[in-house]
Amino acid sequence: MRLMRLLGFDTQADRYAYAVDPAVGFVSAQKKPDRWVPTTCGYCSVGCGMFIGVKDGRAVSVRGNEAHPVNRGMLCPKGLSEHYTIAAENRARYPLLRHNARFSRVEWSDAIETMAARFRRVQAMHGREAVGVISTGQLVTEEFYTLGKLVQLGLGTPNYDGNTTLCMSTAVSGYKRSFGSDGPPGAYEDLERADVILLIGANIADNHPILCRRLEVNRSAMLIVVDPRVTKTAMLADLHLPIRPRSDLALLNGLIHIVIDREWIDREYIEAHTTGFEALCESVREYAPDRVAEITGLDVDMLSRTAALYANARAAFIGWTMGVNHSSKGTETVHAINNLALITGNIGRAGAASFSITGQCNAMGTREAGGASGLPGYRKFESAKDREELAAIWNVPVDRIPSARGLAYPDIIDAVLDGRIRALWIIGTNPVVSFPNVNRLQEALARLEVLVVQDGFHPTPTSALAHLVLPAAIWGEKEGTYTNSERRVSKVNRAVDPPGEARSDFEIFLDVADALGVRDELFPAWSRPRDAFEEWKRVSAGRLCDYSGMAYEAIEQHGGIQWPFSAGDSDPDRSRRLYVDGRFQTEDGRARLIPVSWEPFPEQPSSSFPLVLNTGRTVEHWHTRTKTGKVPILEHLSPNAWVDMNPRDARALRLQSHDRVDVVSRRGRVRDVELRLTETVAPGQVFVPFHYAEANANQVTQNVFDPISREPNYKQAAVRVERTAR
Amino acid sequence: MSLPLLKRAADDGVTFVMTPRSGVPAITRRREPDDPPRMPSRLPGPGEQYRFHVDMRRCIGCKCCVVACNEQNGNPAAINWRRVAEVEGGWYPQTARAYLSMGCNHCVNPTCLEGCPVDAYTKDPITGIVRHNANTCIGCQYCTWTCSYGVPQYNPERGIVGKCDMCYGQLQHGQPPACVSACPQAAIQVEIVNISAWRTAVAASTGGHGVPIADASISTTRVTMPDGLPPDVRPVGVGEIAPQHAHWSLVMMTVLTQLSVGTFVTIWLLQLLAVETRPSVAALGSLLVAIVALNGATLHLGRPIHAYRALRMWRRSWLSREVLLFTAFAAVASAYAALLWFDRPGATIVGGLTAALGIAGITASGCIYRVPSRPSWNTTLTPLQFNLTAAALGPLLAAALGAARASLLSPAAALLTGAQLVVMAFAFLRLIASSSVELQGTARLLSTTLRHQFIARGVLLAIGGIVLPLVVTGAAGWWSALAITLAAETLGRYLFFASAVPRHLTAPYLRVGSEAVCV
Repeated sequence: MRLMRLLGFDTQADRYAYAVDPAVGFVSAQKKPDRWVPTTCGYCSVGCGMFIGVKDGRAVSVRGNEAHPVNRGMLCPKGLSEHYTIAAENRARYPLLRHNARFSRVEWSDAIETMAARFRRVQAMHGREAVGVISTGQLVTEEFYTLGKLVQLGLGTPNYDGNTTLCMSTAVSGYKRSFGSDGPPGAYEDLERADVILLIGANIADNHPILCRRLEVNRSAMLIVVDPRVTKTAMLADLHLPIRPRSDLALLNGLIHIVIDREWIDREYIEAHTTGFEALCESVREYAPDRVAEITGLDVDMLSRTAALYANARAAFIGWTMGVNHSSKGTETVHAINNLALITGNIGRAGAASFSITGQCNAMGTREAGGASGLPGYRKFESAKDREELAAIWNVPVDRIPSARGLAYPDIIDAVLDGRIRALWIIGTNPVVSFPNVNRLQEALARLEVLVVQDGFHPTPTSALAHLVLPAAIWGEKEGTYTNSERRVSKVNRAVDPPGEARSDFEIFLDVADALGVRDELFPAWSRPRDAFEEWKRVSAGRLCDYSGMAYEAIEQHGGIQWPFSAGDSDPDRSRRLYVDGRFQTEDGRARLIPVSWEPFPEQPSSSFPLVLNTGRTVEHWHTRTKTGKVPILEHLSPNAWVDMNPRDARALRLQSHDRVDVVSRRGRVRDVELRLTETVAPGQVFVPFHYAEANANQVTQNVFDPISREPNYKQAAVRVERTAR
Repeated sequence: MSLPLLKRAADDGVTFVMTPRSGVPAITRRREPDDPPRMPSRLPGPGEQYRFHVDMRRCIGCKCCVVACNEQNGNPAAINWRRVAEVEGGWYPQTARAYLSMGCNHCVNPTCLEGCPVDAYTKDPITGIVRHNANTCIGCQYCTWTCSYGVPQYNPERGIVGKCDMCYGQLQHGQPPACVSACPQAAIQVEIVNISAWRTAVAASTGGHGVPIADASISTTRVTMPDGLPPDVRPVGVGEIAPQHAHWSLVMMTVLTQLSVGTFVTIWLLQLLAVETRPSVAALGSLLVAIVALNGATLHLGRPIHAYRALRMWRRSWLSREVLLFTAFAAVASAYAALLWFDRPGATIVGGLTAALGIAGITASGCIYRVPSRPSWNTTLTPLQFNLTAAALGPLLAAALGAARASLLSPAAALLTGAQLVVMAFAFLRLIASSSVELQGTARLLSTTLRHQFIARGVLLAIGGIVLPLVVTGAAGWWSALAITLAAETLGRYLFFASAVPRHLTAPYLRVGSEAVCV
């Protein structure tokens, strides 16, 4: 065959043939499926509807779902190539148990029994709380619900958190304290209906490209982007506010100052629906435009203009992502956002929202049902009423439900380091790449007596350190629901079988429950995700995140349904918003205006580390590249990490574009990265994408956390850049 | 808007006819009011054709078009029939970046088609789409150079090139091309262009306004530029230039044919000048070199078995002409060598013909590389350097095979090699002095990544072509001079290919300091 090819015969003609598919038309024959399976994208939280093309039991193609209200047939480059993740060579296929330095294949039953026995042994010797669980935002809601119940009631440890604490916990804390509950109040439709859109630390053009389409539709809106970097999104803006790193909180307080000063507030709304206005007025007094201009680097005119635009809009929308969340002042910044929205009455109306654009495909699902940072159904650990309600539904004694939250993710790692936690179960996340100041995390993982890693992929930098690897099914191989940023519950379906002996996380959880002897009590007669969904519907009934009117079939049919959707609700297609009546989830139904104050970021540049490092993403990749790193076209488009630096800094350092450099902080060094000179970053700042394990930005980031949300301050590390030694 | 269903008629010579929609169920898109139509509702009329419109104002550089194109055509990741280039200008925070997505430009006068030696390209008479026929293609890759926009790409797995055909098959099924359908920003559309009006617009174009700079091919793609792009806008990532494909079979083929031609010309001149000469061994040796080189050249093809097809388009393709001239050269040179071997009359006349065909062949070789897509090649220095390679090497092989006395050949060899060195230096100065990003890129490659090879070539050339011929005596000396000079010229030809930075994707549309002149 090879000789024939070398001679010049067209041996590959079949591979490059075309065929006609009824849905997509004329297309490469190898991409023409036997059937299309509807599902929802498994990357980010935009929640695009799509189909997986299945041919001979393999996923060969995808296409956007034209009828889906979120994306109307469009997908981003990751979505367009998502089927490659299923057949990636680094999929975990068999349970693996470590003997000394080597993994060997074991039976599932042995793996689960080993896990249960080792966890029980650790708990017997060191207490129940010596086992920790770190989960993810990537599972289906049914799995999160099952896992939460399993961990809190079955394993009996409250030390359970998700990697969502690395991205969204700040929004959760901010919402809870301002509005009395988690839950982004707006809808994507607001992007089309707002007349001013203020995006803070949100580069949606790279990170949520399918949302950009909404901006395109709403061209008459004024788009204001706050970002220290001239991102793709900043370039779309009518007004870009290139603030100094982490001066967003000062900016927001400054805007509130101007809005109050000029009487651009909605006094009626404030009086009817909020408390704390006097204290807020007092707290922003020191944020006069002159001082805010000095802190942010913006001029006074620009501040007044922004305030005028926002406050006088008919409907104003604030969206934010990691620029706000990845900060030790993140929760307070979210309060400031909510304060601004509340005093101008920009909540609960079409086009008006304070809207956290979430990260992972089902970060929302774990927030609602997961039982980590709160009890399922946005219930509070602290509330006796909530615990009793839940105990009644679950038919367990109320004292089995913990009355306080366990340790958050970074505190679990600390607890491992000081020996309070001896065993860890890591599910669907890759902290060896994603955790800040990763050296400390690696030290912690090395001290564990038991590390179980349950993942769709192996080896990952994390699973390589495990004592036990449990191979899990991924997107496309299992059934359930995801909730997107706008609280839309969408269906995900099984299109193909998992590779090797990999099983869905749902099945694994039930097996673990079995081995722990709690299956019959906690999950009676459960066999499929639908069983969890039906119970979860009952748990959510009457809560803010009310699923009780939903059913799998209806969700599928309508391209997802936004909660709250209670049993009596009709019109599942309508855009839904929270707090339409101005009644919030607090005791008195009023939103809290919470005074907050700006502080300089913790690690200021110095003569040894003169540059401020910002980290972020590129459109081609997802998180730690476990998935996208194995998608050939995405790797081809963006194969390596780089450092963006302003040419003025490079001149001073005698560096040229494409030189190989190291990025060095007090904590570590990112080695041998390509330098790119660009005017998209300010002098004095550098940017590194965080996707690449080989050049891990988290070698240099800080382990400084928000005191409320426990989210890391990934951004603003002080670094220097030097030529890589050869 | 319903899209037309376009159907290719089976046998009546009409390429496209419009038929009512049937069979294939239509996709009904929910289109936002601001979305421009993604494709026209009718076929092009007389004097019209389809083309791409790329709206850089809408593009967010997400590269969905690239991924969708690869999926549509089942191409491996390294082959992208649609690509996205990035430019940046301005100063923080007044920075602008813009993205230009390019597939095939479906040119009015496609230069891929002009240069193709086997007539694998056709321009569809109704739609104007430039199509490539995978069955005809022999994988010579000449179109990857003659296209000024780098559109056709060689697929080593299959041994042929391929390119964007505006998803001709999708259009036939009434659907837009994959890139157009996949664009979340509706930044790519298919539209109808009036060809003569477009010719006029292109002829007047100075670039930078969305109309391509006038060149031989006339790209039909229309680009809507972002408002207020800064004047210093430049390609992103141009400093990051890796050495290009070395094309070793072409390196060997060109250098050895030039060696052979140079030797025959030397022999013939010696004969013509009536000096004492023993040319028969040298002629035979040189003929063998030519035969090895010309057969070896077929290894460059993706489909060597169809090499003979390359003769076909000699009326318009420099590649066909080169093949034709060298085939004739080899035939006549065989006769010449035979006449010399058997010492028959008429050798001088046949020798003259051999020399003429050889020089014409080398010049045709040189003209192959006179393409706008590779600014470093696109100069008269290219055929000059090819001929000087022949001139520097010919006397050395002739001398080594004992065609004449050393005293006669050494000054000639030294002089001609000296000329080659001067041209080499001049060509490098031209690169350094240029303001074009591509020529600067070539200069950067030669002075960084390929620095050692570049210096070695100059040094070897000076030693093997100038010093040794002037100092050594005897066959062994000549053979070493030949070996060293041949190594120098092989290295030089390697650098010729490896340092040829392709023209930047945005060059025809944006004034980005690129080599703009294409003719």
